[in-house]
Formats: sequence, structure tokens, C-alpha cells
Amino acid sequence: MSIASALGSALSGLTAASRAAEVVSSNVANAQTPGYGRREISLQARSIGGSGLGVSVIAINRRVDQVLINDRRLAEAGVGERDVRAAFLHQLEQAIGTPESEGSLGGRIGVLDAALIAAASRPESEARLLAVADAVRGVTVALADATTQIQTARSNADRNIATQVDTLNAALVQVADLNSTIRAYSGSGRDASSLLDKRQQIVDSIAAIVPLREVSRGDGQIALYAAGGAVLLEGKPSVLEFAPAGVIVPQMTVQSGGLSGLMLNGRPLAMTGNGSSVAGGSLAAQFAVRDDLAVQAQTRLDAVARDLVSRFADPAVDATVPPGDAGLFTDNGQAFVTVNESGLAGRLTLNASADPNQGGALWRLRDGLGATAPGPVGQSALLTRLGGALGAARPAASGGFMAGNRSFAALASDMLSGVSAQRISADSEVSFSQARFTALKEMELQGGVDTDQELQILLVVEQSYAANAKVIQSVDEMIKTLLGM
Amino acid sequence: MTMISLGDMAQSTMLRRQNTALKADMQAAANELTTGKVADIGRAVRGDFSALAAMDASLARLGAYRGATTEAGMMAGVMQTALGTISGLATGLASGLLTAAAAAQPAQVDAAGAEARQRLGSALSALNTRLADRAIFSGTQTDRTPLPDADTLLTAVETATTGAVSGADVEAAVTAWFADPAGFAALYQGGPARSAQPIAPDETATLDFTATDPGLRSTLAGLVMGALLDRGALPGQPNARADLAQRAGGALIASASDRIMVAARLGSVEARIEQASTRNAAETSALQIARLGVVAADPYEAAARLEAAATQLQSLYTITARLSRLSLVDYI
Repeated sequence: MSIASALGSALSGLTAASRAAEVVSSNVANAQTPGYGRREISLQARSIGGSGLGVSVIAINRRVDQVLINDRRLAEAGVGERDVRAAFLHQLEQAIGTPESEGSLGGRIGVLDAALIAAASRPESEARLLAVADAVRGVTVALADATTQIQTARSNADRNIATQVDTLNAALVQVADLNSTIRAYSGSGRDASSLLDKRQQIVDSIAAIVPLREVSRGDGQIALYAAGGAVLLEGKPSVLEFAPAGVIVPQMTVQSGGLSGLMLNGRPLAMTGNGSSVAGGSLAAQFAVRDDLAVQAQTRLDAVARDLVSRFADPAVDATVPPGDAGLFTDNGQAFVTVNESGLAGRLTLNASADPNQGGALWRLRDGLGATAPGPVGQSALLTRLGGALGAARPAASGGFMAGNRSFAALASDMLSGVSAQRISADSEVSFSQARFTALKEMELQGGVDTDQELQILLVVEQSYAANAKVIQSVDEMIKTLLGM
Repeated sequence: MTMISLGDMAQSTMLRRQNTALKADMQAAANELTTGKVADIGRAVRGDFSALAAMDASLARLGAYRGATTEAGMMAGVMQTALGTISGLATGLASGLLTAAAAAQPAQVDAAGAEARQRLGSALSALNTRLADRAIFSGTQTDRTPLPDADTLLTAVETATTGAVSGADVEAAVTAWFADPAGFAALYQGGPARSAQPIAPDETATLDFTATDPGLRSTLAGLVMGALLDRGALPGQPNARADLAQRAGGALIASASDRIMVAARLGSVEARIEQASTRNAAETSALQIARLGVVAADPYEAAARLEAAATQLQSLYTITARLSRLSLVDYI
């Protein structure tokens, strides 16, 4: 019997070598495939009744370091979150404008200040009064542009939340489907490695949105939790619900009911603060931009606009304006009322009575906004007082600025400084989390397919195949010898 | 963990990442080198824009003040010239009138009177001087000529001096007319005096000189008294006319101190404007230098960084080429 068993052993060796070559070829082919886990063939000596009978392939193992992958996913979520925050703060800084950039708020305030001084020097000149009116409009345009950009950023965040929620839901359903397919495969003893690859790719695709914790549930099944505790997939997938709002205006907030929150399986999820169960990913960051960062920025901008309006509405500046009436700057044509502060920065306009484009007359800049007839053409007192009102040091009435007296230019630059400081710290957080993510990603990739190693294995496989073939040849000759006797 | 293999993608990802980072560094350094300004101002000022923004605001204001001081200085200069002209006219006339009065020759008094009338006309036109189409002695009503011509003025004065029979009567009537709000002041077409105008941070200059300035009235009164001789005042009384000429000459000499006071007052304003202008210019240069200190990039440092990044990038290219040739595939 031993010649026959030698033949059997050699045959099993050939099969094992073929399988090994197949595994090597699959590894080499997928050397550049993201999410591909390197396969290794696992062999065992076959024995029947205590005597060796060749080799058998017991499994094709997929080699991944799950701990490393989990860490990498958490780092990826960190990058996702900080990227979104930093991008918004960058945009905000650009919207307000640094002193070097053209058309910045600070630059336009300087233009207004200079126009008032030039007009006070020569109040007869229509051109100089026109320059004052243009400079006033310039300041309103700068504030309105910043408002538009902030609200556009909120709308974009709202849209991104909707897209990300859709992506999450779709991915969770796919993972649940793959879970059950993998159970069927492993139950019937088939190789489920490519399905595992696929599942890992899908989970990776949502790792930046929410920080994920993958928990193994046996039989190749996985459950997914958000790092904050929300159950995303446990047996069956959770459903996230979100209703995008479309266009967003400053007055719309979650509290006012104008904006949608996030629902998990029909229950509302807290999105802001550290207690949020989906905190830490780009989804939470988009909520932070929409409900926190942008709202804060708008509040500050409105406080700056309010300060500007009140500076010029003071009867001590322009005695022809009755107390309570609008000064040089109006809230869309009306006098500013404290309850309307929200969104004020987007609605400032030059007082119609001094704006030739709205049927007013330029001489009212010189003689008083409430004046009924032009006064002496050389009168510069009001223009001087207007310039003084812009530069006067006074406390800001709202916006949470630090206590103290500031000129208007200083208040605007304090607002910019606040944004810029936040932006710089967000930038360094981005580079920190980016570095961490890159390091983990590289460690993960280091465990991937190494073609040099695969080729080495291939050499061994070739030798083993040749050896087994040689054994068969020898056995054949032995049998021939036997038969030829 | 014992490393028995190194994934192919780890190597290519690492090379790609290094390449991107080095190129970004080069971009920033090249940008700083060509523009001379730091690439990220927010980072350069550590997020605190208050100093930079305050400098920019001051520079904008100082730019406007430069225009304002030039204009104010020009106006003060033209005013000073007009005052000088009037002073010259008055001083020259005073001696002529006194000589004529001493000679007591009617013809000489007539001639002095005619001279006085001409000079009154010149003095009025000096007060009506316009600079860049602005009447400078009109106060805030710069669009109106402050005073009428000599004939209109003299006609109004003649009404006030009707019934005067002696030089003393005429002098009293003329002095009263100049002091009367319904007299000289009623002929003045300008507005109230100009208010203070800003010429430097927290500093103003007041060019509040008008044609009705009390310092100029006594001079005008003297000129008018002389000119009345030419209009035939006190007819048929040669002695009274000589007396009037004497009084006119005396009034012009006495008014010299008033004129000097006005000129001195104007001169001090001119000096303030000039000082403010110099100070503004000095402050502008100081601020510009300070501003550059904040936003300027050190070209040597930027060039050094550019060079270092370029060298690193070259090494990276070499390494990439070497590593890509190192594969077992090529050897078996």
C-alpha cells in the first residue's frame, strides 16, 4: 500500500503547491489594492490511522491587524473632524479679510475714516461727499459679504450632513448584508476573504464620518459602534435620519426649530458638546460649523455692525436726527432696534436721505441727515464729528467681547484676531491629527503585500512543486519496474 | 513586532507624502521670496491682528491728513498774502493822507482821496480772494463773495454819514457804521466763521478768519474815510476835509497793531499746520517701517529654506528612482 500512499502524498503536495501559487498570484495582483488583507496559506500534515498521508490545506488566512485598523479609523475620524473645522475658520478669516487682503473689513473702515477727514477738509466738494457715501457703502458691503459667506458655510454644512447621513445609512445596510453572506460562506466552509476585504473597504469609507469601533461577534460577524456610544450596527443596521433645510438665514437655529437635528432609529441624538454619542468625526464637525462656530461668528459680526450703527445714531453726533431715528447706517432703511440684532450685519445700508441712489442728497452728509435745506457749503463740523464717532473709544454693547473701550477699527480687528487665533490652533490640530493618521496608515500598509516576499514564496512553491512532481515520476518508475518484472 | 515583510504600498505612500510636503514647503518659501511678505500673516502675528490693524488704520488716516494739511496750509498761506496786501495798501496810504492834510491844499486832499478810493477797491478785492473757487474770507459760505465792490460800500456809508458837518462827525459815523450789525455786517455776504478742521490725530486747526474780523474793521474804516473824500464828503469845507484826511491817516496808522495781531494769529495757525504736517510725515514713515517689521519675510531666511527644500527634493527623487529599481522581479 505504501507506493500508492506515496503517490497520494505527492499528489496532495502538488495540490498544496498549486493553491500556494494561487495565493501568491492573488497577493501580487492586489499589491496596490486598498483594504486588501494579505492571504496566507495554512498547511497541515494529513494523517490517516496514525500514518502520514501527505499534506492538506486547512485554510487561506487573511492577515490583518484589527487593533491597528481600529486605531487608524479613529485617527481618520479625528482628521475628518479637524479638517472641517479648520476649513471653515480659514474661510471665515478670508471673509473678514486680513489687513493685507484687498477689500477687507479693516481696509474698508480705513477708507471711510480717510474719506471723512478729506471731506471735512473740503466740505464744498461733491466728489469728497460722494467718496464718503461710497466708503459707507463699502463698509456695508464688507459686512454683508461676510454674513453671506457665513450663512453659505452653514447651508453647505447642512447639505454635507445630509450627504454623509445617506452615505452612512447605505454603508450600514451593505455591511449588514455582507455580514449575513459571510456567515453563509463560513458555514459552508468556503473562503470568505474577498468578502472580508469588501466589508473592510466599506467600513473604511465611513470611518472619517463617525469614529467607529468594530467589535467581532464570532462567525466572521462584526458590530459597529460610534466611539461616543451610539449603536450603528448590531445584527441589523441602525437608521439615521436628517432633513436638510436648503437655504439658511442667520435667525435659523436648531432651538428655533428652523434646522433639523439628527435622529437615530427615531430617537433624537444630541449633536453638540462632548456628550454627543457620535462626536469626533466629520459629521459632528459639520454640526459644529452649522450650529456653533458659524453662529458664534455671526453673533460677533452682528455685534460689530450694531456698534457701528449706534456710533452714528447718537444725537450728539448729528443733532438733526431725532433720538431713536436711524443715523448714517440703517437696518435696511429702518432705525436699528436691539431685538433685531440677529443678522444685522447683512442688512446695513446707507441712510436713504444721504444716498443719491435712493433719492437722497449728498449735502445731508455735511448738514445733517434730518436737515431740510442745504446749510453753508463750507460747514465741516458734522463731518468732523462723524470721523470722531468712528474713532471714539467706547464699550461694545454685545457679542461677548472682552470689556474695555475700543475704536470701531479696533473692535473689527479684535473680531478678526479672535477668528485668526482659532484658525491657527485648528491648523495645528489638523497637522497633529494628520501626522497621527499618516503614521498609523503607514504601519497598516507595512503589513500589506510585499512583492519581494511573495516572489520568495513563489520560488519555494516552484521547488516544492518540482519536488513533488519528481516524487510522482519516481513512483511511476517504481511501478513500471514492478510491472515489468 | 518582528518585521518580516514591508508592504509595497507603505513605501510608495511614504514617498508620495514626502514629495507633497517638500513641494508645499518650496511653494511657501518661493512665495515669500518673490513677494517679500510672509505667506501666513495670521501665523506671523500669532492670531493677534490688533497691532497690525491699528497701524493700517493710522496709515489710512495719516494719508487723509496729508491732503487735509496741504489744503489748510495753502488756504492759510493765501489768507496771509491777502492780509499782507491790505497792510501794504493801508501803510502806503496813511503817509499820503497825512502829508495832504498837513499841506492843507484842497488839490492834494482830492488826490489823496482818489488814491484812498482806489486802495479801498484793492483791499476789498484782496478780501474777496478765491482759492480753488472758494472765497477764503467768507467763513462757511465759501460759495459767496464776502464783500461788495467799493462803490456799493461807499454808497451805504454815505447814507450813514448824511448830516455830518465836521471831520469828527464823519469819523464817528463811519466807526459806528462798522460796529453796527445793520451797517457793515449787513453788507457781508459770507457765513459764520469756519469750525475747526482735523489736521492730525486728535489735533485741529481753526482758520476762523472772515472779512468781518474785528482786526480788519479799523483798517477798512480808515480806508473808507479817505475814500469818502473822493466821493465829495463835507463839500465846501476845505479845512474840515483836511481834518478828515488827517483823521483817516491817523486811523490807518492806529489800525496797524490790529492788523499785526490778525497776521500773528494766522501765523500761529500756519505754524501749527506745518508742524502737524511734518509730524504726520514722520509718523507715516515710522509706521511703515514698523509694519514691514511685522509682515516682511526675511529674504535670506526664505532663500535658505528654498535651497534646503530643493536639496531634499532632489535627494527624494534619487531615492525614489533607486527604490523602484530594487525589486526581486528584476533578479529572478
